[in-house]
Amino acid sequence: MSKLPQKELVTGERWFEPGAEIPDVDQKLHALQNQCTDCNICEIACSLVHSPVGELNPLLSRVRINHAPSVNSRKAVHDFGFVSAICHHCGNPPPCAEVCPTDAFYYDPKTFAAIIDQDKCTQCMECVPACPFDVVFVAPDGELLKCDLCGGEPACVKACATRPEMNNVGKQYTRAAVLFYEDSKGIRSIMQQKPEKRDEVGLMQAMLERGEISSSA
Amino acid sequence: MESRLLRVNLTTGEMREEILPHSLFERWIGGSGINNWIMWEHFLSHDINCDPRGPDNIFVFGVGPLAGSGSGSGVKGRITFKSPCYGIFGDSAAGGKFPYMVRFAGFDHIAITGKAPRPVYLYICDGSAVLCDAAHLWGKNSAETHLALQAEHGDYPSQTHTLTIGVAGEHQVGIASVVSDASRIHARGGGGTVLGSKNLKAIAVQGSGGIKIHNPSGMLQWSEDFRKLIDANEAIYGFKRRGTLGAVEMYQHIGSHFWRNNQGSLFRGEEVRSDNWVKKYHKYSEVCSADCFIACDGRYKIDGTESEKSKKYVGETFRRPEYLTTGSAAGALDVRDWSEIAHWGKVTNDYGIDNQDLSCSISFIMEMKEKGEISERDVEELFGRPQRLEWGNMDDIEALLHNIATRDNLFGELFNDGPYWGALRYSELKGKNFMKYSIYGKGGASFTEEMRPFPTWMNNMAVASRGADHLKGIGLIEKFQRRDLSQRYFNGRTEAADMTIPDLKGASTALIENQVALINSYGVCLFHWMLDPAGFAPEEHYGPAYADVTGISRTPAELMKDGERICNLEKAFNSRLGLRREHDTICERWMYEPTTEGMYPGSVAADMFETVLDEYYEWRGWDKVTGLQKESKLIELGMEDVAEVLASDRALARG
Amino acid sequence: MVTIHTQYQSRFREITQVPGETFQLTEPLVAELATTLAKKYGPLMESLLIDKETRELNTRGTMYLDSKGRRIYMEDRLADGETIAFLVGIAGG
Repeated sequence: MSKLPQKELVTGERWFEPGAEIPDVDQKLHALQNQCTDCNICEIACSLVHSPVGELNPLLSRVRINHAPSVNSRKAVHDFGFVSAICHHCGNPPPCAEVCPTDAFYYDPKTFAAIIDQDKCTQCMECVPACPFDVVFVAPDGELLKCDLCGGEPACVKACATRPEMNNVGKQYTRAAVLFYEDSKGIRSIMQQKPEKRDEVGLMQAMLERGEISSSA
Repeated sequence: MESRLLRVNLTTGEMREEILPHSLFERWIGGSGINNWIMWEHFLSHDINCDPRGPDNIFVFGVGPLAGSGSGSGVKGRITFKSPCYGIFGDSAAGGKFPYMVRFAGFDHIAITGKAPRPVYLYICDGSAVLCDAAHLWGKNSAETHLALQAEHGDYPSQTHTLTIGVAGEHQVGIASVVSDASRIHARGGGGTVLGSKNLKAIAVQGSGGIKIHNPSGMLQWSEDFRKLIDANEAIYGFKRRGTLGAVEMYQHIGSHFWRNNQGSLFRGEEVRSDNWVKKYHKYSEVCSADCFIACDGRYKIDGTESEKSKKYVGETFRRPEYLTTGSAAGALDVRDWSEIAHWGKVTNDYGIDNQDLSCSISFIMEMKEKGEISERDVEELFGRPQRLEWGNMDDIEALLHNIATRDNLFGELFNDGPYWGALRYSELKGKNFMKYSIYGKGGASFTEEMRPFPTWMNNMAVASRGADHLKGIGLIEKFQRRDLSQRYFNGRTEAADMTIPDLKGASTALIENQVALINSYGVCLFHWMLDPAGFAPEEHYGPAYADVTGISRTPAELMKDGERICNLEKAFNSRLGLRREHDTICERWMYEPTTEGMYPGSVAADMFETVLDEYYEWRGWDKVTGLQKESKLIELGMEDVAEVLASDRALARG
Repeated sequence: MVTIHTQYQSRFREITQVPGETFQLTEPLVAELATTLAKKYGPLMESLLIDKETRELNTRGTMYLDSKGRRIYMEDRLADGETIAFLVGIAGG
């Protein structure tokens, strides 16, 4: 069916019968939303690493950056920001795989990420609306694209640059990259990191309180 | 490496696609190098002395091979044309997602000639192009045009990205700019004027194709290594927050600002001298284009609580002002409030006009008024109305901006080509020489930064191919006193880092012009290199990435020759137009009036200017007396064809 | 014993949390000042100030000027009462 302009990065193939118990994906991609700067490097790296012919095309990427007109934040007063659309690797079985009429989904034996077999896929697109997070993408040629976690070494995470401590859309962020490949415990500890004491806002506040600078400095 | 060029003849409506072969990349690298060559070839069959506002001028857009290839160094599109305001070589770079998208639409370069009979815009989608009626866009500013085109073409097969001109370009104001995606501006030289004169309001592009990378795994590895180097550099986190606004504080420390038409070297007003942009105005960070590990840009939205004056602009949102936006507003015009500076950035962008020439034109007339050179009657004559000319008053400044951008009165007409031509025309009109108040360098281009203490910078202003300009030969070795760089590039000698002597200053300009030409031809941003000029040198650091993307493998020495070749073509273009040594010059104030404040008081350019210029020609291998290129140099660079043209134009020196 | 004043900008000020301060140094050397600062403010300051490989003052994006506006180097001697500014090196835009 497919011209296979894409190669899936998997450590092997495991097929499960319908209704069978599929292990959960432990380590997933996570994004610190609102830290994203729309640099597209995750898209560039993803498309490049999945192309057998060295074709770089953000529309062949399985992770996408979207402009967020209303940012989902408690202080969403500024109406802008960027969010990364990434596969959440839903549990057992993932809705995209569940609705597939040709059972074209198999699993990476290492990460247990659901992978689309492009030869079995009929491009019926049932999986696209089935995804609760809108992260099964359609390539310009019609192939369905879904995150395969690069066999456990996601290229997007390697490409994502670290952002400084910063006050973005009213929320204070600690120094961190935007994309992470972590299990639930790992990402919890990252999310709970307190912004560093020596950051911009904290510093200014401290200096103001000590009267070392005037209100405009 | 191979890419495609789209040729558009607006007079006939004919469009043609051409393959740019591998050999062209071997000779000209890409980006600005290939742009220059396309323009050079055009003027072999068209009169180079043509009116830049006429149909014979060419407008070339181009993007280099490293742009958007995962190099993490940004994407810079470049426009190249004969400058309408300065009459010489003109080019300008900008980010935005437009250049990134042009590549996915199947082209790396677009060359536009002729003149459309009525306003049109060019729509490019996945390898095909069409000219569409732009009557409904004419009269709209650059941002409105961008939004209208995005609404028209939607998000399929990809987002729509645009290159537009504002009202200034429509009125063929000499210093009009081209705006990329409504917020990133190709400001210098008058590219917007060229498009306006061709009746081309905009270019809209959508693309779903890909770009081919010669060695993808090598490129990904290079990219990851580069990201780690950037992430490990503690100083870059400061730059990621502030971008070029970080220079405000540093320049205030050394006295490198341009205050009130360069009567001073420091900003006044506590607010703008400080580093509080991030605290008060920053709402979120973003990249200017794509594919950048630094992402120094940010967005503001004014809510009226920032300062008393910010109440005027409640709800206004735009991208953070750059240093030179600040330098032109807080410096040249003495605006002392961040919200007004941000607003200045937005309005100049919306009109599509270069804020350097614009601010120097306005500050020229303000200083004339301050010094009593013009009377109320003169003001009445210039503006056709009583007009206050008060430093730092945004209402006055915006009124004058509107006059220039629409040429709707005598002042706007006189100064539409910037402060040099404006001052010259006004001096002629009044029969009195006012040139000492005009700030300009080569070709009449102006610039809002204090440079008198820095001999390399003064040399840059005199020799840059596109007129007074710091980016072509940026004097980092000297301004940052980089003894290590001086030693590395000049056989262990340290003089280039010492701003008090003329030695190696011309040499620095020549060296860095070659490096910058390389970066511009790769199609990436200058700042990654500028933040660590020893670590991220274009010939060494970027060489392997260029090889991974294009398959063209070069040694650092060969790449430096490539850079030199590109610079020599720009020079040859100007020589054909009759530029000689006497045109490599700067204004009176820079030359003879000493600085009075900052860390380096009492500096004037005249002390070292001629010595540095001599040395520059020497290091370039050009003739010192005429300033022309020598045949031997061009043959050494494999430019025999160029030498032949110059010889027939009597623009080649012997030897 | 010499008295040296310091001024901090940008990333330096974020780390020190003060716009400037005064040090008493036993050895009137830039190297002594750099070590004192690195010790006082920890690894962030050290990586900003001192090049890991060469042990020279870091040049990647930073700049250090004396009161006459001259760049200083590790081996330079400091005069009593001198003011050293720690800046970021950015130009253009």
